Amino acid sequence: MLFAAAGSVQAICEPVFDSSRIAVAGGSITEILYLLGAEERIVAVDTTSTYPATARALPSVGYVRALSTEGLLSMRPTLVLGEEDMGPPEVLAQLERIGLPMVAIDEEHTAEGIMRKIRCVARILGLSQKADALILDTLAPLTVELDRARGRAGWQPLAVLILDARSGTLVAAGKETSGQAFLRMIGARNLFSDISGWKPVSPETILSARPDFVIFSRPGADITASEASSFAFAGGTNVVAVDTVETLGFGPRTIKAALDLLVKLQGRAQPDE
Amino acid sequence: MNSAAQVLHARGQPAWSAHAALACAMLATGVLALLAGAVDISIKSLFHDADAVLQRMILLEIRAPRVVLAACTGAGLAVAGAALQGLFRNPLAEPSLIGVSSGAALGAISVIVLGASLPILQPLASYSLPIAAVAGACLVTLFLYGFSLRYGQFGIVTILLVGIAVNALAAVGIGIFQYLANDAALRTLTFWMMGSFGRASWDTLIPAVSLMAVSMLPLFALTRSLDLLQLGESEAFHLGIDVRQVKRCVIICSAATVGAGVALAGIVGFVGLVVPHLIRLVLGAGHRYVIPASALLGAILTMLADLLARTLFAPAEIPVSLITSALGAPFFLWLIARARPR
Repeated sequence: MLFAAAGSVQAICEPVFDSSRIAVAGGSITEILYLLGAEERIVAVDTTSTYPATARALPSVGYVRALSTEGLLSMRPTLVLGEEDMGPPEVLAQLERIGLPMVAIDEEHTAEGIMRKIRCVARILGLSQKADALILDTLAPLTVELDRARGRAGWQPLAVLILDARSGTLVAAGKETSGQAFLRMIGARNLFSDISGWKPVSPETILSARPDFVIFSRPGADITASEASSFAFAGGTNVVAVDTVETLGFGPRTIKAALDLLVKLQGRAQPDE
Repeated sequence: MNSAAQVLHARGQPAWSAHAALACAMLATGVLALLAGAVDISIKSLFHDADAVLQRMILLEIRAPRVVLAACTGAGLAVAGAALQGLFRNPLAEPSLIGVSSGAALGAISVIVLGASLPILQPLASYSLPIAAVAGACLVTLFLYGFSLRYGQFGIVTILLVGIAVNALAAVGIGIFQYLANDAALRTLTFWMMGSFGRASWDTLIPAVSLMAVSMLPLFALTRSLDLLQLGESEAFHLGIDVRQVKRCVIICSAATVGAGVALAGIVGFVGLVVPHLIRLVLGAGHRYVIPASALLGAILTMLADLLARTLFAPAEIPVSLITSALGAPFFLWLIARARPR
């Protein structure tokens, strides 16, 4: 029975036989393991696991989509827990042949999806009770609050979400991106909902459309004064910055981050608009 | 540099011992590459420890196909480089510099991106990808050759300029596919382009290596024709060489060799440039030595580069092309400096 299940990428949230040594491929899953207090089971992480800071000290097996087969195996994991986009597929196929149990956690970019993800990881590790308590105490109330704030009458601002624009190119979230999903979480309409994926856009397009908010998503959420004022002359456009991992990682911190941003934006928006 | 006297100068004895030494070195490198890696494997524990099952699996299923792919791709790139240099009578003809690798990459990328949106292609991916890569490489090589026929002999500078143009054209195509690709395909592409032997597995390896072997063999048989071609095309013709036939064969065979390698490993730069040059420095320019010795040295250097790629930052890995290019690019600069008339 055990061997029938072992050695293929599962997408189901069933308890595994041995979760004592976990290799993680995906920043949000690392966060969830820390949240559940299971961090001592982590033997390796990928390069997207940057939070909490102590996770960075763990051995790295490469980028979530460019994992190294032997590198992973050298950490002697009993389980690989990854985001659904972990790869490359050839490496997963090699691990499958070795017979290493792997679970790819389904990703759904909503507050409910985040809580499902946490429950799923917890069930795999046999920590369901802990997860249920955590969700009941913190995440569920935050979600209720987020829903209430989002539902405020007349709140449907037009927004743009720009991914780390330090290179000078504005890369905006289009449809079917985590960026658009995050905008939906804060009740905003995406100016670029017609383009698909993350695409470079021209600042002129943004200026001429006069969105209510331009949101820069970048590590550390820092923003320069010139960037903050870059869209000011469009009139009525507010520029804010959020942390990429916190918001677009769709991990445990994302619901709080969405709520904080929503409250901040509603405070800034013109009441008469 | 390629004077007739030098080309036809035979170095019988030292060449044989050099080949034997290279063959031994290749075997030694292969064994080293098999035994070293992120997971410690000792020969003794393979037979005794409780862990032996896992270690044997890693050795046979992960490392062995990887080492074989590295060796074959390296040999293929070096032989294709040597043959193209002979064909173009230009020592700087290198699969990645003149755009043959980019052509192969463009073919392969079209399959990765279109395959993601056309699920029908998915089960055929292990065949359609190499076929598209070979087709892309062939297209570029034929274009280069047609261009040289129409506009005369390529000088050293011209072929590099044409290579820049071809690479730029391929980059446009690759850029279009990157723009069309969805998020996941895009990130796959980025890492695929940088080259890695980590994707090797026996079932994809066997068709690709068979193709490489089949397309490399004629190049070994053409060494005399390539030597005579160095005298000039009409001279070669009068010496009884079917010039047209030889050219067609060299183009298709080197493109297929490069394409099959690129399909599995992505772009691995500079092997096709550095290896034949090193061999010529030691053994002279005769193709009957350059081609087999390039195959051996290409395999050695590529296995070593892959070994570094997977052990330097273990348990993570770095793209193998970072290593080959970091070593190859300065060598390339040195060649240019040396070739300049003082």
